[in-house]
Amino acid sequence: MSQPDFSANLKPHPQANGAATLAKERQQSSFDTNAISKHLFGDAYLERQARILKIVTAEKVFSKTNQANLSRPDRYKLGLARGKRLRQLMNEHNWNDDDFLMAEWLVDDVLPHHLNISLFKSAILEQCNEEQRAYWYPKLQAWEIIGAYAQTELGHGSNVRGLEATATWDHQTKEFVLHSPTLTASKWWNGTLGRTATHCVFVAQLRIPKRAGSEEFHSYGPHPFIMRVRDERTHKPMEGIIVGDIGPKYGYAPMDNAYMLLNQYRVPHDALLSRYATVNRETGEYVKPKNTGAMYGQLTRGRSQIVMNARLVLARAVTVAVRYLSIRRQFRDQDASDQFALEEQVLNYSTVQIRVLPLLASAFALHYSGAAMQELYERTRGADAQKESALNGLQELHFTSAGLKSLTTEMAADGIETCRRAMGGHGFGGGTGLIQLNNDYLSKPTVEGDNWMITQQVARYLLKKVKDLSTASRSTTASRLDASLARFREHSKSPPQLSGLSDARSILEAFEWRTAFLAFEAYESREVKKLPWNSLLVEFRNLSRAHTQAMLVVYFYEGLRGLDALPSSTKAVLWDLFRLFSLSTIEKDAWQFQRSGAVATKTLDQLPKEVLALMQRIRPHAVRVVDSFALPDYLLNSDLGRSDGKVYESLFHRAHVENPLNRITFNPRYWEDELVMGSKDGGQILSKL
Amino acid sequence: MAHVPQWVRDLTPSGPQGSEILAQERDGSAVNVDQLKTFLFGQEALQRKQKVLKVLQSEKVFEKSQDYFEGRTDKFERALARAKKLRQLTVKHGWNETEQRSANDLISEPLPYGLHEGMYLKTLRDQGTPEQHEKYLKFAEAYQHIGCYAQTELGHGSNVRGLETTATWNSDDKTFTIHSPHLTASKWWIGSLGKMANHASVMAQLIIDGKSYGPHPFVVQIRDLKTHELLPNINAGDIGPKFGYNTMDNGFLLFNHVKVPHIAMLAKFSAVDPKTNRYLKPSSPTLVYGTLTWVRSTIVLQSGSVLARGVTIATRYLAVRRQFQDRDAPEWQLGENQTLNYTMVQIRLLPLLATCFALHFTGKGMMALYEANQKKMSQRSSKEQQELRGAGPEETQSGSDLLADLHGTSCGLKSLCSQTAAEGLEACRRAMGGHGYSAFSGVGHWFLDYVPTCTWEGDNYMLTQQVARYLLKSARSVLKGNEPNNDTTEILSHYLKRQDVGAAFDILGKDEDLVAAFAWRSAYFIFEALRQRDELKQSWNSLLVQFYKLSRAHSQYLVVKNFYETLQSPSISSELDQETLTLMHKLFRLYALHTLESESSEFFTSSACTVSQIRLARTKAVMQLLEEIRPHAIRLVDSWDFPDFQLNSSLGRYDGKVYEDMFYRASELNPLNRITVDPYPENATLFKKDESRQLKGKL
Repeated sequence: MSQPDFSANLKPHPQANGAATLAKERQQSSFDTNAISKHLFGDAYLERQARILKIVTAEKVFSKTNQANLSRPDRYKLGLARGKRLRQLMNEHNWNDDDFLMAEWLVDDVLPHHLNISLFKSAILEQCNEEQRAYWYPKLQAWEIIGAYAQTELGHGSNVRGLEATATWDHQTKEFVLHSPTLTASKWWNGTLGRTATHCVFVAQLRIPKRAGSEEFHSYGPHPFIMRVRDERTHKPMEGIIVGDIGPKYGYAPMDNAYMLLNQYRVPHDALLSRYATVNRETGEYVKPKNTGAMYGQLTRGRSQIVMNARLVLARAVTVAVRYLSIRRQFRDQDASDQFALEEQVLNYSTVQIRVLPLLASAFALHYSGAAMQELYERTRGADAQKESALNGLQELHFTSAGLKSLTTEMAADGIETCRRAMGGHGFGGGTGLIQLNNDYLSKPTVEGDNWMITQQVARYLLKKVKDLSTASRSTTASRLDASLARFREHSKSPPQLSGLSDARSILEAFEWRTAFLAFEAYESREVKKLPWNSLLVEFRNLSRAHTQAMLVVYFYEGLRGLDALPSSTKAVLWDLFRLFSLSTIEKDAWQFQRSGAVATKTLDQLPKEVLALMQRIRPHAVRVVDSFALPDYLLNSDLGRSDGKVYESLFHRAHVENPLNRITFNPRYWEDELVMGSKDGGQILSKL
Repeated sequence: MAHVPQWVRDLTPSGPQGSEILAQERDGSAVNVDQLKTFLFGQEALQRKQKVLKVLQSEKVFEKSQDYFEGRTDKFERALARAKKLRQLTVKHGWNETEQRSANDLISEPLPYGLHEGMYLKTLRDQGTPEQHEKYLKFAEAYQHIGCYAQTELGHGSNVRGLETTATWNSDDKTFTIHSPHLTASKWWIGSLGKMANHASVMAQLIIDGKSYGPHPFVVQIRDLKTHELLPNINAGDIGPKFGYNTMDNGFLLFNHVKVPHIAMLAKFSAVDPKTNRYLKPSSPTLVYGTLTWVRSTIVLQSGSVLARGVTIATRYLAVRRQFQDRDAPEWQLGENQTLNYTMVQIRLLPLLATCFALHFTGKGMMALYEANQKKMSQRSSKEQQELRGAGPEETQSGSDLLADLHGTSCGLKSLCSQTAAEGLEACRRAMGGHGYSAFSGVGHWFLDYVPTCTWEGDNYMLTQQVARYLLKSARSVLKGNEPNNDTTEILSHYLKRQDVGAAFDILGKDEDLVAAFAWRSAYFIFEALRQRDELKQSWNSLLVQFYKLSRAHSQYLVVKNFYETLQSPSISSELDQETLTLMHKLFRLYALHTLESESSEFFTSSACTVSQIRLARTKAVMQLLEEIRPHAIRLVDSWDFPDFQLNSSLGRYDGKVYEDMFYRASELNPLNRITVDPYPENATLFKKDESRQLKGKL
């Protein structure tokens, strides 16, 4: 810019002084931010965050300044560079896997190499026999090979049994022939495979000829095969493989999700990952898996991580919203008598609070649920996988994880959008730091089991529980769920009709009663009236939702019960958040609570007032509560959510100084085809066409 | 093109082909698509669209195949090329405003002249004097001046009175000084300003002799007409990438004591007298209401089509997509089920299909009411006040209660309809599962470009306060015993008369009762809010959430009523055959009953229905309607008449070739596949070979 920049000296209007506002907000509350940070994340996590943050922020390649402007290929390129650099840093600093994951989280960019350290890695760990694992695992750990996991196809997602790719045993050569018979058999969506991977685990229908040379086959369902995708030296696809990136998506720009077709591609006998099933090399016989349930393990693990992640995503959106909306002022209070009062902080409006504060409470509900789930998973893993009891545990986990996955990813995805819209105009801009988060996160309601589809698993499980209840003796009841179902059966004629909801335990009771009511109703529809499964899917989804909400409330309650060492004023805020989460959840589904007799109608009518009062109590602590999530500014990458409150300065800097579009002068005259002023490009885009 | 070997070219999708499936779907329904689309849009609009489409498709610059891959700068540059070409075509073919709008709909991305055309020209026309038309409008219409409308600031949005930019009158040299005293005074979000505009219509606080007279519009030149560089003491630029709208150069703008002549203040309604230095008041303070009502009615009308676009794509794709076997299906019935046959998919999609019609008819109803009233007003104003023109001050004139009602309720409808459309689009996208996440679904970017509608022209939450204020005022008038003079006051006085008798609406049997139940619920909550405010003296702020719900309830009533009235119109049976009409009727019931059951606790609390009615609506009536509408879904979306060119979607193609198109775009149009990478961390090389630019060059 040739002229002196007079804007350099401008300050925001005095009432828009974000730093002062946040300081005041922090002063007015005694909520113990540090104690809660430690309580939520633990010392080790916070230490790791601080340590890794210092390292990554020192590297230029991890600067987020310009990434939102890049084209798809450039975005991939940046991701590739970041992936490489992170792996180098791992060597330089002797990072363990948790350190690496922390770095990935802070950089906040999906790495093109990601599948190598996630699904590919867990497939190698969990589906290889010992020999195979000894061979492949060190290679992938060293990134000598980059692996992907190719299951989903163009025509087939959730229904794994419907996959079309085939793996046919050739007894003569002792090889499997991997093949894609149709266009819809093309692998699709598989991360890391499009451009980056050298290898992949390829899931295909295993077929063994009935006799040597026969065109008739025995089919054994989907099985995993490891295969080379690209040449080690040239990185070109192997002969007989067509593979590429599927193009841009809503988010996940740096990830090369793939399509891949195989044309009679041959792999050796030991390509079949054989921990659970194998084909006898000499006889060509299929050796059956010892237990099929173990296949669930991988999916379940993915889900538990999704739930843990959902709380942080929500925390992140709420952090940005709470900070910005405290600083943003708009209109004077309608009832205010002082004409010259400052405009009102937007966070003081109840229409804003009702959108943002229940989400703040949700972040805690998700935290305690995620923590509980993690614990359950670890417990199951610790057990001997061959034991009957461990298998039952896995089934229970599989079922609970389905409901929690469905509800929590939806809460987080919708929560980002709700926060974004609550922020009005600036909520639409890049200054939110939520664009990429939103666009990346929106994949979550679908991956690892579509949020609507998987609610059937929860319903099926609950139906079975009700059935067991009516056949088995009561002494077998063990879990909290069993107990609440039994209680319902015993007292179904006299519902609790709770008239007060100040006591936490009566809140739990209301949630559990509603679940039991819906479970028995669904049981009646399916098992007694024999209604078609398809006609009940909507009911099943409501049931799954109800049960999962009850779980969130219970986990939240139990999480808070264990808090002894905290100052009582801090604890009081957490309990208010518990009540806000519970009551606003009831309010949204008031009809179900009313109909099931869980809560008295009169109480339901009181709820809006109660919710409003809770929000007023929580409001003064809001900034300190979000501070306790301890999310670094580097992660947030948000002008609106900065911890120092310099919202407007930062927005302006991003627009004025960092925006590459402002380095170009365009030619706006429609009768001249030139696009960039003075370039004589003759309207390059126009003329090239 | 990438090398695609023969064995790949020979592959087809497995099972029944998408094109066969959609053909079967179309055979299975007798909905008369031509009739229905004519009923929705009119013959003239349909023909216009075809004519414009043909012109656009013959121009390569409008070809969309690379749109989804570009970075911000390239995207903007291409949009600029399109904007220029569109303007050239408009001049060449002599296109009028409706033809231009049609072209914009088909191109379906915000173009950088957008705010020049939409706001700058309009502001000059509406608020300029003949002298100012000569000085500014003439050049703007020739596109020698490119302008924008600079109102919103970095620190100020909805509250226009809070704007910080000042325009101080200098009596000595008869000029105004435009100035930005703080950083938060920077104009912000202004479309067409960032890179395009050489002029701006700037809203600034008028200050005369130290006294402020509130925000007024001033025309300021900001860039050199030849070099297009910024003028001295002006700082402007693009604000950077956004969720959507990235083809638009939303801008910022700061002034450092910039002097403009007296004529720069748009003076049709108020002015500064250069001789006396005194402020000349506007003749009517409420003049803009008419325009705002028109803008909001337009948003409502468009919301139907906006949503229909997502519903079209999702319905076609989910008919082609197959997943799992029906759990109850007999052994012999092989093959996976069409995803659209699952009730959990239908319950998300088909009520949205019904909603498209509901919103469209509501918008049309509002437009008709608005235009009828305009006509009446202009007849009167031609007699009374020549200069007031159409957008008259309805609040101050008696006899315009209809428009007052329309204005009061248009805020609520804008809020409800834009919200419904935006959320509906996202619901469509998610219903499509994995492929819905691909850019080639065509829904994601459409949602992102649309979603700011929830914020602009009045934030959807903020606006509901105006609705509540109007409804409370109406209720007070009814309580005072005033005769009802519009629909709102009528339902309120009906409720008052009946409240002690109670309602006994046959919502499942009679359509008019269904409408009445919505009216009852709205009236109940209006009086309830009034009680809280007037009797219990609750603070305004503590009632905001209630006001929001109230506005929503009342707006839902209006949508149901408009849909119902459309079906009652005498002409409809001559325009639609019986079968199509019956189906429209089912769509009405689906919209109304599904809305009712989603808001069941309010209907229950207000005693508009009983618990068992709600249960029956949910488990019986709605499920039954889904089943009855399902076979016609494809034809119903066909009747919205979206050309493939407009949808730009693999999943929503008219011919159902979903998988072929996904594969084609991925393998042959995707620049990333012209790149060979080096994935190993120890090697500094990122791309071993990059031919992606060649793909771009070739296009």
